[in-house]
Amino acid sequence: MKPLVAEAWVEQPLERFVRDTRARFAIVLRTNGQVLGQYGFTRAVDVMSACALAAAIHGSAEALGRELEGAPFRELYHAGAQRQVFLAATAAVRGPVLLFCAFDAESSLGLVRMYFQEFRRAVLESVPEAPPPATSFGPDLERALHHNLAVLFGRGRQTPTA
Amino acid sequence: MSAAFGAPLAAVVRLRGVLACMVVDEADGIVVASELHVGIDADVLAAVSAALFRGLRRSAEAAALSSVTYLQLEAERGFLCAAGHDGLVLVALAEPRAQMGLVRAAMMGAAEQLA
Repeated sequence: MKPLVAEAWVEQPLERFVRDTRARFAIVLRTNGQVLGQYGFTRAVDVMSACALAAAIHGSAEALGRELEGAPFRELYHAGAQRQVFLAATAAVRGPVLLFCAFDAESSLGLVRMYFQEFRRAVLESVPEAPPPATSFGPDLERALHHNLAVLFGRGRQTPTA
Repeated sequence: MSAAFGAPLAAVVRLRGVLACMVVDEADGIVVASELHVGIDADVLAAVSAALFRGLRRSAEAAALSSVTYLQLEAERGFLCAAGHDGLVLVALAEPRAQMGLVRAAMMGAAEQLA
């Protein structure tokens, strides 16, 4: 299975990450919850939910980190009985992006953290220079969120570059 | 470093040619305790070693070979050794000049102290 992406620059880093880590699910999103690419999900509603939750969790952790340490927490990890989730932010030319992934006993936190560093480098290399998006939290946010979901699940047109 | 792992690690890392020795959680691939020379990326070594050991342990179990007690990987520029015990893996990195018989004996003894 190949990742589905709304922006072409996400494809290679995400594909490599899920291949190397054997993650079951992975999503690359903006901090406002806008999906940029996903692997493993079959329903748009699941991606939408995961993005909303991941963005909210990241926002909370960022604020908590600032309160406690004066800087945002970098990575977040939760272990379940069968599956574990990892959430981390990385810089990109057009603003920070989040990587959210779920993995099981086929992988490990150590591997996920290690390959996240490669993902981080790949993202920085693969994003062409461009001005930051104008609609981070503006009135067009909802339309932007739905546009990328539609692109991922075949109801819209993929943006050729960032 | 956790005091509980100080003696097992010291027993291995003091041997000639041993560059690093660490205790790694097998499931998570995270460093629990380590003794390292400068320049070794402990996180990467731990993640990859634990994944390798876990994979081989599963292969051995699938082949009805019972549990893996010791793993030694020989590469052009040194050795990677691992010994598991109770969900923990003792990992050592050694130069080609290391006496691997001594390293193996020390690792097996140290691994028994990990519980």
